[in-house]
Amino acid sequence: MSASPAAIEIVGLHKSFGRHVALNGLDLCVEAGQIAGFLGPNGSGKSTTIKILLALLRADGGRIRLLGQDPWSDAVALHRRIAYVPGDVSLWPNLTGGQAIGIVSRLRGGLRRERLAALLERFELDPTKKARAYSKGNRQKVALVAALASDAELLILDEPTSGLDPLMEATFEACIRELKADGRSVLLSSHIFAEVENLCDTVTIIRQGRTVESGTLADLRHLHRTTISVELAGPIDDLAAVPGVHDLVIDGRHCTFTASDPELNGILAELSRRQATGLVASPPSLEDLFLRHYAAPDDVPAAARVPVR
Amino acid sequence: MSLDVIARPGGSAASHARPMSEPLRGWRAMVGFVLRRNWLRLSVWTLALVAMIPLVFESQRAAFPTPADRQAYAAVANTPTVAALTGVPYAADTLGGILVIKIWMTIAVALAFAASFLITRNGRAEEEEGRTELLRSSVLGLHAYTVAGYLVIGTFVVAVGALIALVATAVGLPAAGSVPLGGSFAGVGLFFVGVSAVVGQLASTSRSANAMAAVAIAVAFILRAVGDLNGSGDQAGWISWLSPIGWAQHMRPFGENLWWPLALLIGGGVALCWLALALEGRRDVGAGLVPDRPGPSYAGRFVSSPFGLALRLERASLAGWFAAALAMAVLYGSVAIAMADLIGSNSPLAAMLGIEAAAVMDTMLALLVMLVALVAAAFAVQSAIQLRTEEATGRAELQLSGGISRSGWAAQRLALPALGSGLILAVGGFVMGAAYGVARGDASPAYELAGAALAYWPGILVTIGVVIVAIGFVPRLAIALSWAWFALMAILSVFGELFSLPRWLIDHTPITATPRLPAADLALWPLILLSVIAVLLWAVGLRRFAIRDLQPGA
Repeated sequence: MSASPAAIEIVGLHKSFGRHVALNGLDLCVEAGQIAGFLGPNGSGKSTTIKILLALLRADGGRIRLLGQDPWSDAVALHRRIAYVPGDVSLWPNLTGGQAIGIVSRLRGGLRRERLAALLERFELDPTKKARAYSKGNRQKVALVAALASDAELLILDEPTSGLDPLMEATFEACIRELKADGRSVLLSSHIFAEVENLCDTVTIIRQGRTVESGTLADLRHLHRTTISVELAGPIDDLAAVPGVHDLVIDGRHCTFTASDPELNGILAELSRRQATGLVASPPSLEDLFLRHYAAPDDVPAAARVPVR
Repeated sequence: MSLDVIARPGGSAASHARPMSEPLRGWRAMVGFVLRRNWLRLSVWTLALVAMIPLVFESQRAAFPTPADRQAYAAVANTPTVAALTGVPYAADTLGGILVIKIWMTIAVALAFAASFLITRNGRAEEEEGRTELLRSSVLGLHAYTVAGYLVIGTFVVAVGALIALVATAVGLPAAGSVPLGGSFAGVGLFFVGVSAVVGQLASTSRSANAMAAVAIAVAFILRAVGDLNGSGDQAGWISWLSPIGWAQHMRPFGENLWWPLALLIGGGVALCWLALALEGRRDVGAGLVPDRPGPSYAGRFVSSPFGLALRLERASLAGWFAAALAMAVLYGSVAIAMADLIGSNSPLAAMLGIEAAAVMDTMLALLVMLVALVAAAFAVQSAIQLRTEEATGRAELQLSGGISRSGWAAQRLALPALGSGLILAVGGFVMGAAYGVARGDASPAYELAGAALAYWPGILVTIGVVIVAIGFVPRLAIALSWAWFALMAILSVFGELFSLPRWLIDHTPITATPRLPAADLALWPLILLSVIAVLLWAVGLRRFAIRDLQPGA
């Protein structure tokens, strides 16, 4: 694995549209064979980054390598090895979904017809319908099926499931796992935390055109506090004084607080001394991590809020 | 918002089509909405159409200052060319009659197109975009939005007619003729409001709605042209009565000033709008009356290439422009025959022309060939601009994320306007020459006019080049600029002299810079110069398109 170059390597990416700064030193890395989640609030620059990777937009500055090559000057050769699903799929209203799949795939360098047939069945998509008759979800399925049926080494998916129902969402996740088993790489921009938590090896969270968090989910969890909910038979009053206990809420014999990993051992010793009768420890969810960045005030530098790995 | 509309069970329960009460509820608000979305377009159309009256009037008063001049003109005005293009001349010895000969048909056809495009824009196009759905999901009657569109556009055509009547009177024409003049325009406009209302219900896309309306206008034009060609004296033949444009002509402003044909136009327009509303009540939002059939489940190799895709997407419009060019060519070919007969006869016109007859014939053929070239140019602009449409909708991103370079993709798409316009020129010129040559038992005009038409090809490539540069440098304005550019070219080449526009401007468009064969000599240097300019524009525009950011969104 170490021999093959990273699927995506971006350092210090900058992009402005007139006076509006869209990307302001963004970093992103996707190792070959990995599934990388790409998160950020609306307008934070996810789609801009993806379009720069596809040479649809031109970067103003920064270092970008895509499958070891330059995404702008080697675009044509690179695009034969990449499949893209846009966030908002627009098709030719007069052509059928199947025709659209064919057109996109042929430009990309072909697909496996038998794999396409299987995918059409799994996603319950009728390829003989005119695109104007498709719902948003079905238009998205057209682009998704075309990408999944390809032999691309890297799939770049911009919110690919935003129009899919939960059943199709499960089918999508199964398909992505199969890709990973094949050793292919995926960049998945998404707003669905469950999807990212289920699928992704690494996660990058961006905000206002800058990377604020990145790493494996385990790493990210490690940096944040675990929520502990406990029933105590012993004394409660001095719990606030225990080192590492934060955000303490006491309700009768029931206490809830957050704790960071390094202090966990000491806290557990304190709890057992107070005769804990029931304990629930929940690791920080991706949603928790994400909401912290949503809610964070603009003027605080990202590094001051959350340590970046 | 109250819910009484939904709650009330009575009213149209008897209607088998679509039980819904108060189908017009909210129409006043919708009138305001339509006005807000269209006020600029409506103002521009009104200004452009009404301004033609004083412009042409002044140029004709300058050209025929004395009654004697007008008498002389009237003696030679009734030619097949004039009859076919603008109608049988009558009252040609008055300024009002001359005004009608010179500009009536142009304004009438332009107003018919304006009414159709505006109705589609506020009807079918809205539905296609899904905005109608949003509006109708609120407390809004089934027909409110549609009826508001008909009312606003209907008022617009009536206002254009009224303003033309006022302006014509103001410049000094008799009111007894000016008022029916305005009435004849308003009548044509109202009838085509009705036509486009119906096609807006039949078609499921705005493009096909506009295409169907254009076909209806073309048929109306051709029917009356045939009628006018087969008239006797200053009366058109009976076929002209099959055309709504013919009805309006039969009002004969500044001649007999008849009012009753206007009743046909208004009645027809209202009846068609009524039919459209009945159709609307029977179908689902977003659907046409003709349901979609299933299509292929995969794309063939040819359709998958950018050129093949362009051909597949634009085949209907290409066929439409081809049909237009062929219909024109056949019609004008027969005009040429009639003209030749006239010159060969003992009419005062022939006597006056005398030895110059051949030159007059060539001048006329050259004009007709140029009109075919304008049709080819219109196709070229419409097709080239699809490049921007693909970008604006985001479909370009989907294709360009594949293994094809931007310039390669764009060049393949642009091959269609380039080759298609060449084909329209060659076939249009050939058919016109053949139609003319058949009568003379001579095949040579077919080749001669095919060549004359093809001489416009470099100019059309320049026209496409301007569109490419616009797409490259100002993508968001490109569609509007390209059509403005085409309109400017068409106006300068057809009406430049009529509007007394400056000579240097008239002579330097890609169309007018082309030698007007067969009247002019075949000069090669303008063609070479136009070719060089075309290459430069294509190169600069494509280069810019290849290196700039893609900009989806309107």
